[in-house]
Amino acid sequence: MNVLVCVKRVPMTGGTIVLTPDGQAIATQHLGFTISPHEECGVEEAVRIVERHGGESVVLTLGPPEAEEQLRDALALGIDRAIHLVTDGEEWDAQATAAAIAAAVEAERAAGIEYDLLLFGNESADAGGYQVGVRVAHRLGLPCATGLKSLAVEGGRIRCEQEAPGGRDVYDLPLPAVVTVKEGLNLPRYPSVPGRMRAQRKPVAASRPARPEPRLERLRLVVPGGQRKQAEILGHGPEAAPRVVEVLERIGVLT
Amino acid sequence: MLVRLVRLGAPLARRDDLPKRLRNEAVVVLGQRKLLQRLVPGLMHAAIFWGFLVLFPTILLALVHAADREPGLPDGSVLGWLDRQGWFAFLVDLFACLVLAGVATAFAIRKVQRPRRFEGSHLREADLILALIAGIVTTLLAWHASQIALGLNAWPAAWSPVSDALSGVFGDGTATEALERALVWAHVLIILSFLVYLPYSKHLHIVTAAVNVFFGRTRARGRLEPLRFDLPEEELRFGAGTAAELTWKEILDTLSCTECGRCQDVCPAYATGKELSPKLLIMGLRDHVRAEGPKLLADPAAATAPLVPGAVSDEVVWDCVTCGACVHECPVSIEHVDHIVDLRRHLVMVESRFPVEADPMLRDVERAGNPWGKPQAERAAWAEGLGLRVLEPGDPAPEVLYWVGCAGSFDERARVSARATARLLLAAGLEVAILGPRESCTGDPARRMGNEYVFQSLAERNVATLDAAGATKIVTSCPHCFNTLANEYPDFGGRYEVVHHTELLAELVREGRLRPRPGAQAITYHDSCYLARHNDVLAAPRELVGAVGRPLEMARSGRRTFCCGAGGAHMWLEERGSAINEERVREAAATGAETLAVACPFCTMMLDDGVKQSGRELRVADVSTLLAEALERP
Amino acid sequence: MTVLALVERGPEGPDELSLQALAFARSLAPGEPLHALAPVRGGEGTELAATLGEHGVSTVHLAEHEAFAAHAPVALARAVVELVERLAPAAVVAAGSERGNEVLAHVGALLDLPLATNCLEAALGEPMRLTRLRWGGSLLEEASLHGSPKLLTVAPHAVPAEAAPAAGPAVERFTPSLTDADLVVRVVERVQAAAGGISLADAKVVVSAGRGAGSAEGFAVIEELAALLGGAVGCSRAVTMAGWRPHTDQVGQTGTKIAPDVYIACGISGATQHLAGCKGAKTLLAINTDPDAPILASADYAVIGDLHEVVPAISAEIRKARGR
Repeated sequence: MNVLVCVKRVPMTGGTIVLTPDGQAIATQHLGFTISPHEECGVEEAVRIVERHGGESVVLTLGPPEAEEQLRDALALGIDRAIHLVTDGEEWDAQATAAAIAAAVEAERAAGIEYDLLLFGNESADAGGYQVGVRVAHRLGLPCATGLKSLAVEGGRIRCEQEAPGGRDVYDLPLPAVVTVKEGLNLPRYPSVPGRMRAQRKPVAASRPARPEPRLERLRLVVPGGQRKQAEILGHGPEAAPRVVEVLERIGVLT
Repeated sequence: MLVRLVRLGAPLARRDDLPKRLRNEAVVVLGQRKLLQRLVPGLMHAAIFWGFLVLFPTILLALVHAADREPGLPDGSVLGWLDRQGWFAFLVDLFACLVLAGVATAFAIRKVQRPRRFEGSHLREADLILALIAGIVTTLLAWHASQIALGLNAWPAAWSPVSDALSGVFGDGTATEALERALVWAHVLIILSFLVYLPYSKHLHIVTAAVNVFFGRTRARGRLEPLRFDLPEEELRFGAGTAAELTWKEILDTLSCTECGRCQDVCPAYATGKELSPKLLIMGLRDHVRAEGPKLLADPAAATAPLVPGAVSDEVVWDCVTCGACVHECPVSIEHVDHIVDLRRHLVMVESRFPVEADPMLRDVERAGNPWGKPQAERAAWAEGLGLRVLEPGDPAPEVLYWVGCAGSFDERARVSARATARLLLAAGLEVAILGPRESCTGDPARRMGNEYVFQSLAERNVATLDAAGATKIVTSCPHCFNTLANEYPDFGGRYEVVHHTELLAELVREGRLRPRPGAQAITYHDSCYLARHNDVLAAPRELVGAVGRPLEMARSGRRTFCCGAGGAHMWLEERGSAINEERVREAAATGAETLAVACPFCTMMLDDGVKQSGRELRVADVSTLLAEALERP
Repeated sequence: MTVLALVERGPEGPDELSLQALAFARSLAPGEPLHALAPVRGGEGTELAATLGEHGVSTVHLAEHEAFAAHAPVALARAVVELVERLAPAAVVAAGSERGNEVLAHVGALLDLPLATNCLEAALGEPMRLTRLRWGGSLLEEASLHGSPKLLTVAPHAVPAEAAPAAGPAVERFTPSLTDADLVVRVVERVQAAAGGISLADAKVVVSAGRGAGSAEGFAVIEELAALLGGAVGCSRAVTMAGWRPHTDQVGQTGTKIAPDVYIACGISGATQHLAGCKGAKTLLAINTDPDAPILASADYAVIGDLHEVVPAISAEIRKARGR
C-alpha cells in the first residue's frame, strides 16, 4: 500500500503576527518553521499505515528551497522518500498548487508508482483555502473525504470519520482515494535522533514546476483591527454580565 | 571480572586534572569530608576507616604469626620493626577501641535510631559486615592480650593498656598457649572470610570507593558530559539503553555504592513520596550490571536487556529534578544525575519515550526557540520603555550583555525581576544590552530531558550569535542559563565571563554604585540548586538580602538547599505525589519570614505557586526586585 | 446579475451560518434577484423555502434526491454546477463552514474556477476585490478573484443574519442528474457522540477555572455556564494538583491545547504554561479578582470580580437574552 502525504511549510507565528513593510508577507526573521498541524497528523498516519500494511510512504511539498527542512522532518518520522516541487518563494494559489501536485502524481504513475492513498491537511495553517486536496482528487479522478479525525484502511477500502455536530459522520470510500485530515487524528510521534540521521540520507527528488498566473491573487496582507495591547475591561463584579453577553453575541457563540 | 566489566564501559574522559584528583582523594577519602557532613555517622565511619588504616600492618603481622608463633621477624624488616614499637602498639590499642566504638555506634544507629535513609538497603548484609569487623578487632585485642600473658609480645606491654589489662584474664599455662593459637587463627580466618565475602557485598566499596573518588568529576558540577554526534555510525552512543551502553564510570559508580542512603535522605523526589530513590536507582543498575555481567564479558552486543524498565522504572527516570543533592551528599562520588540523564537520553533520542506532556516543550524549544512556543519577535517586549539597548547585528559589543532567558522574557512573574535587574544595571551606569529576538533558549530543558541532539544544535547556534555579537561578559538572571553558558558552552567553543545577576548586583552595591536603604522586613533566601549547589554562588545573594532586610536562614540552605521542584525540565512535567514546592514553602514559612527571596525565575514561579496552593501569607520575590525596591524606598 | 447561495440545513430550518451567507450574498448585488439552493429529499423543503424567503431569497431551488438524506458533497456540487449552468450567476456564495467550504471546493474543481474561502467583504467586478481571513482569522488578505462566476464562502459571523422579507419566493424543484461516481462520497453512518459532551480540544467554547474556584464544588457555576454555551469545562494545573478535577480537564502546555472561539478563564492567574495551551483561542475573556493578574496581559476582555458572583450573573443574563 503506497501512501503520499502532502505538507506545507508555514512559519510558527505563536501570537502577534508582524508583517513585512510592503504587507506582502509575514516577517519571518525571528520565526521558526513547521508544517501545518493537520499535516503533522497526516504524516504520522502515513507512517502508521505503511508500518501496518507495508508499501511505501512518500512526502510531497510545494515550496521554497528551505521547505526541504520540513521534508526531512517528515523523513525523520519514518517516511521513505520525498518529492520537492521547488518554488522561488512566491505563493501559489490553490488551483496552481493542486495542478502541480496532480502532475507530480501522474509523473509517478508514469514511472510505475501507483498511490493507494493521498493524504492532505484539511486546510493549511496560513492560507486556509480548504480546497487543495479536493482539487487534486478531481484532477486524478479519485473520491475525496474531508476534515477527517479517524481513518481505518481495510480490504481495499477506507473508513473515514468526520466530526459533526453531536457525533461523527462516517464515509466509506474505495481505494485509491484522497482524504484530508485534521489535528486530533492521532498523536504524532516525537522524532528519534537515529531517525533524524537516517532522514539526512533519504532521497529527495526536486523539480521546478512553472508557476501559472494566480487566479486568486493576493494584493496585500493586513493585521486586523490593529494589534490590541490591553484587555478591554467590561466591568467590575456581576454588573458586567450584560456586556459579557453582548460580547458573546457578537462572537456568535450565543446561538 | 569486575575490573573487566568496568573496562568494557563506554569511554569517558576522566584522566585529566591529576592534582585535583589527588586532592579529592586526600580530602574525600582520607579526610572523610563528605561523610563528616553528618557528624555522628561521619565520626563513626571515620573511626572504623582510620582504624583499619592503622590496623592494616597488624593483619600482616597476624598472618605471619598464624604460621609461626614466634616468627622472629628480623629487626631490619618493616614489620619486625613495627612489631617492636611501643607507640604503634598504643595506636593499635587505641584504634581497635575506636573501631569497636564505631561498630557499637553503627549498631545503635541501625537498630535504635533506624533512619529512613536505610529503607531499601540490605540491612542484614550490613549487620553481618559490622559483626565481622567487631570480630576482627575483638580477636585482635584478645590475641594481643594472650601474647602479653605468654610474654610473646615484642612491644613493651605498658604501651598497650587495653591488651595489657585484658591479659589478666589469661593464665600462662598450656590452655593460654592453645588459646593464643586459636585467637590468631580466628582473627585471620575472619579476615579471610571478610575478603571472600567482599566482592559480593556493598563492602566492595572499600576497594572501589577510593578509585571512584579518584575518577570523580573535577570540573564544574553543573556540567553534563556532551555526547558526540560526529562519530562513525557504529561508534555513536545515544545515552544508555542497555548495560553495554553505560560508561565505565557509571559501572564503577554502581560497584561503589555503600547503600548508606545519604542520597535518598536529601532527595526532594523521595521526600515527597515519589518512586525515585537515588540509592535504589544505583542499586537497581548495579544488580542489572551484575546480572548482565557474564553476557557483557562474552559479547557486549548480547547484553540487550533494557535498563528501563529492567533495572529502574520509567517513573524513576522522570522523577528526578537534577538538583544534585544526592551527588553532593555521596561519600563515594557517585554521579546519580549523570545516570539519570544518560537513561533519559536513550529514552528520548532513541525510543521517543517520555511523559507526553513534555512533547510541546521539546518541539517548541527546537522550532520556536523558547519552551512555551512564544513568538521570538516579542522577546524584548518586557524591556519596552526601559531604555535598554537591543543589539542589532553589527552593533558594537556592550560592556555587559544581559542574557535574559526565556522566563524573564516571556513569563509575567519572571519579567518583574528582569525589569528590576535591567533598571538596576542601568542605574549603576553599566553599559548593558540585550540580544532581543536573537536570544533563544540555551537548550537546558531539552538537555535535562535527555535530548542532547537538540541541545547541541541550540548551543552551536547561540555560541555563534554570542561570538558574532562580541560578547565577553554576560550576566544572566536564570541560574539554568548561567550554568549552561558558564559550564557547558565551553564544550562548544563558547568561552565568556558569565556572572549571575546577584553577583553583579552585589558587586555594584559593594562599590557604592547602588545604594539600597536597609529595611526591617524578615527575608529568608532560597538557594537555587543551579546557583548554590552546582555553582557555589552563595554569598552574593545573601549580601544583597542583608543589605535590604533582616535575613533568616532555612534549615536546608546553601549547598544543601532543597529544590523548588522545577529543575531537570520539571517545569514542563506533571508532578506525581505530593508537591515539592509546597514542601519547600512550608520550610520557608517556618522561619517566620515575610518574604521568600529567590534568585531564579523558575524558583519564583514554583514557590509562588506553592504559596498560593497552600494559602500562606508569604511574598515570593527575586533578590533583584527587593534591591530595586530598597533603592526607591524613601 | 444574479447571485446563487448554497443553503445548509440545521436541525430546525436553515443553518445560522447559511443565513449569514444569504445576508452577504444580498450585499453583493443589492436589489438583484437572489437564488438559493438547498438539497432535500423528494417532496421536502416547503417550510425551508418560506424561511429563506424571509431572508431575501427570490427563488428557492430545491435539489431533490434520495442521496440528500445525508451529506453527499460531490452530488451537491453537481447540483450547484447544474444550476450555475442554467442561471449563469455572477457569484456563488456558501457559508464558510466545513461543509460550505468543502462543497464549493468541489464546485471550483468541477468548473476549474478559483475559490475564495472565508471572505469578510467582497465587491462584484472583474476581477472581484475581496478581503478574506487567513491564519484562522489572525490575519486578513486583500485579494483579486478572477474567473466567472465568482466562488466565495463567507467567514462565520462576518455579517449578521438579518431578515429581509421578499414577496413569497418562487420555489423550483429539480432533480440533478447524478452518476454513481457522484454518490461514492456520502455519509453512510452517523456515530453519536459518547456521553460527556464535547471534547476540550474541539470545543467552540471553553469555560475554565483555576485556584479561584476554591474547591471542587466551586466548579458548579463553571459547569452551568459551559452547559449554557454548549461548551466544555477546563481547569488550570493548580486545580488538577489540588485534585478538584481530573488531568483530562487541564488546559495548558502540559495538558490539553485548546483552540475555541471563546475561552472564558475564571480565577486563573495565567501561568505561562497555561497560556501556552490556550493561545489558539480566538477570544480570551478573563474573570479575575486581581486586576494585575498576568492573564490580563493576554486577554481580549476582562471582568474584575469574584468568579462566584460574576459567572452566575452571566448565566442569568444569557437565560434572559434567550428568553427574549
